[in-house]
Amino acid sequence: MSPAEAVGLALVVVGCGFYGAGTVGLLRFPDVYSRLHALTKADNQGLFFVVLGLGVLAGHWRVALLLIAIWLVGLVSAAVSAHLIARHARRSDRRHTSRTARP
Amino acid sequence: MSVGLLVDVMLGLALVGLSLRVVTGQSLFSDIVQFILFGLVVALSWSRLGAPDLALAEAAIGAGLTGALMLMAYRRLVQGGGEDAVRIGPRPLLALPVAALTGTLVAVIGLVALGVQRVAGAAGDRVLEALPGTGLGNPVTGVLLVYRGLDTLLELAVLLVALLGAWAVSGDAAPGRLHQVDRRTPLVGALLTSMAPLTILIATHLLLAGTDAPGGAFQAGAVLTGCGVLLVLTGTLRPTAAAGLVTRLLLVSGLAAFVLIGVGAVALGRPTMTMPGTWAIYLVETAIMVSIAVTMTLLFARSRGLAPERS
Amino acid sequence: MTAAVLGAAVVFLLLNLLTGLWRIVVGPTAADRMLALLLFGSTTVAVLLLMAQWLGDGALRTVALLFVVLATIATLAFVGTAREGGRA
Repeated sequence: MSPAEAVGLALVVVGCGFYGAGTVGLLRFPDVYSRLHALTKADNQGLFFVVLGLGVLAGHWRVALLLIAIWLVGLVSAAVSAHLIARHARRSDRRHTSRTARP
Repeated sequence: MSVGLLVDVMLGLALVGLSLRVVTGQSLFSDIVQFILFGLVVALSWSRLGAPDLALAEAAIGAGLTGALMLMAYRRLVQGGGEDAVRIGPRPLLALPVAALTGTLVAVIGLVALGVQRVAGAAGDRVLEALPGTGLGNPVTGVLLVYRGLDTLLELAVLLVALLGAWAVSGDAAPGRLHQVDRRTPLVGALLTSMAPLTILIATHLLLAGTDAPGGAFQAGAVLTGCGVLLVLTGTLRPTAAAGLVTRLLLVSGLAAFVLIGVGAVALGRPTMTMPGTWAIYLVETAIMVSIAVTMTLLFARSRGLAPERS
Repeated sequence: MTAAVLGAAVVFLLLNLLTGLWRIVVGPTAADRMLALLLFGSTTVAVLLLMAQWLGDGALRTVALLFVVLATIATLAFVGTAREGGRA
């Protein structure tokens, strides 16, 4: 296995680790906001490392560019989705009880 | 056990498990979300099976249309009937027998299909042989437009009829205001500015690439529908009570282009429903893409027309 | 070796996907369930990209791009329509 392959695979594995962390956060954190926070940060970071690793593995700059573009679009998409969900959760929290975890 | 087999087993279990959960779940909203996940797993399965055209279509429609439609339908149910409207009642008695019967039928068909021997000179091989003569590189597009053009034509007609049916059912009432996200909501404007042009770009790419690589009119149309849905959901396009002339022209353009070229081919001395050249394929595909996008966006907005919001 | 690692990564991410189901089943509010959709979207993109390299099918990258562009639509539909109550 060439060094480039090894580096690429290592980056992919690191990315998967971040995804795992995000899922753990989704399952274990106490309320919607902390879950949202954990999930979006970890998943986008994971995607970054996966994209980086795949770019190295692909070896072609066009492919790498496309992968980075996908990641950037994914960032925007995740940011807007997370914000909208948080806003909605906040609104319905104000309408019902307060559900945020005690600090 | 190889990794590939493991992936296949997981996808298979996920498909079966999710579909079971969707139909037997007790909370409608959670079932809808699981159905969206099911669509994603189907797209992944198509990818694993080496069918990118199908994965493209499934991802576009599953991500851009089905989920949003169901969530909105759920909302309308709750609005109209309160919590009772979305309570899941007891399973009808026929459900299990019907499910068992359908499952057996599908299993039998699947097993037979798996056991069929590959015959040399079958239709698929003929298509692949004759493909270079049509100027196309993508066998899917070849089958859709060149070899089974009549089927595609009828599919377009079916889509149009579905829209007309929806119009007939909804009657002449002015369309209710779609609950949508205000464009002035933070980040939504930025989302539109970045995503809407991107969808048009991707749709154009799929259309042009469809002759040689996975893609084509249907996938491009589905992506454009996503753009339309984005605009409708954020209030940039407002449902109107009447379909304008441009809307009607766009709706029938796919069918019209296909019929015109198919019939016009006779004037050029070829059999009906053949494509006189790659230019014809591009023309018909573009018309199909636009038709599909307008039809599905109108179906989504449940109105007869759409107009830009003046604010 | 590369193929095995990529395949293992796909398996791991699929496991993540299916674990997110738990939040859909349990998550008390509708927002929790929509949150799980975020997980699905992000993980699906990664799986598609990994499969593109693993199976050698470049078209899957187009699928990933398409998917990531349309991913917000479900959230928009949910947020725009779910006016009151998060108890869905």
